[in-house]
Amino acid sequence: MIDILSRFGTSLLIGQFPHGPLGGIALTVVMSAVALLCAFPFAVGVAMARTSPIAAVRRLAAVYVYFVRGVPLLLLIFWAYFVVPLVTGVGTSATVTVICALVAYEGAYLGEAIRGALEALPRGQVEASRSLGLGYWSTSTYVVLPQVLVSCLPSMVNQFIILVKDTSLASLVGVHELTFSANQINAQLLTQPLEVYALLAAAYFVLCFALSRLSQFLESKIARIRSGSTGSAAVVAIAEAI
Amino acid sequence: MIQFSGVEKRYGGYLALRGIDGEVARSEVVVLCGPSGSGKSTLIRTVNRLEAIDKGTIKVEGVDVRDECQNRLRARIGFVFQQFNLFPHISALRNVTLAPVLLGKWPKREARERALHLLNRVGLGSLADRYPSQLSGGQQQRVAIARALAMEPPVMLFDEPTSALDPEMVGEVLAVMKGLARDGMTMVCVTHEMGFAREVADKVWFMAEGKVLERASPTEFFTAPSHPRTRNFLAAIRAA
Repeated sequence: MIDILSRFGTSLLIGQFPHGPLGGIALTVVMSAVALLCAFPFAVGVAMARTSPIAAVRRLAAVYVYFVRGVPLLLLIFWAYFVVPLVTGVGTSATVTVICALVAYEGAYLGEAIRGALEALPRGQVEASRSLGLGYWSTSTYVVLPQVLVSCLPSMVNQFIILVKDTSLASLVGVHELTFSANQINAQLLTQPLEVYALLAAAYFVLCFALSRLSQFLESKIARIRSGSTGSAAVVAIAEAI
Repeated sequence: MIQFSGVEKRYGGYLALRGIDGEVARSEVVVLCGPSGSGKSTLIRTVNRLEAIDKGTIKVEGVDVRDECQNRLRARIGFVFQQFNLFPHISALRNVTLAPVLLGKWPKREARERALHLLNRVGLGSLADRYPSQLSGGQQQRVAIARALAMEPPVMLFDEPTSALDPEMVGEVLAVMKGLARDGMTMVCVTHEMGFAREVADKVWFMAEGKVLERASPTEFFTAPSHPRTRNFLAAIRAA
């Protein structure tokens, strides 16, 4: 394993960068981060649409969620890769199309997780806010979402971890991310699939584990602030921002 | 100040309010009482449109509540809930400043000072930076009153403000409400606190089955109730 790492370590880590395109773990991390950053606000939007006071918006969001949940992610990726350029006439890189597919996919699942928390918030919270004269958007921004997003942090992290692992499907449309790199190395070595794929597993595990720990840290910080023992001013600011 | 005429509200096949008429004058304190399910809470919730009415009209300061922008109407009606409904993720102080700052009523840099003034008025200035979970029920309800007062509403509605409290905390909340009444606030209170009604109310409205059966001064109401349902009700609460 050590000699695999010493021979192929850099390619696993960053692909052919800086002499070629970015790849390996670095590309997996970048794809995950971008998809996550886009999927999160999108999912909040989906959740709000699913609980919208306007029936047409609710129905539209439901159709979207049912559709995305009803097809495999791989199909969405193929679709984005082969069909979208055909229809729109604009060719984009495989990486971008995969990110779009991931965002569309996660938007539905993450959106449902957030919707669950939205509907679990006691009705009195919205009533109290609206009774003060605050409108729908102010109420959502300052009263509802800060509570809901914290309460569904565990299920959101769950979805984020799934998203990180789902980037591996990008290897099937030729994106040179972690799984693709591992496949290439395996093809060169031919005799050591167990070791190569153990390395691949370890790499995904580390990424996902780090995400879990980060969320645990955030949860305990927020809990500490809201139970009142004082944290640092910066953390208070973060907690109030979310 | 508030005029009800022919107000009806139905939930599916159930008629919760069956033609309510009546008027609450400026600076008047009206206590709404009656058995549970009589429509008291529903009635005050129709005033700030937490519940929509099916028939009749409600006017607040002469304006039909359905003709006015919902948010503007609510900003000038203070509402206090049985379950307090403080926002648990922000401090007591921020609970008070949230709406007036967002709605541009208070300049941001004066907000803290103004909120402290209100919290002092309900006796909680020293606990301004606590979170709701660190406050007792009575303290939470007093913060909720301060929060409602922040919008400087000419009318305050109280929906069983002491029903969710431990007995030893009822007094502190009632004291704040008495202070408001003394200061000339127009108030409509749904409450089972007959002592409060006797002491503070200008009028007691007795409701049963979605109708106001009796409207009297507290003295009249408690000593010489005219309606048999009122007599039953009073006998029942006295026996308890």
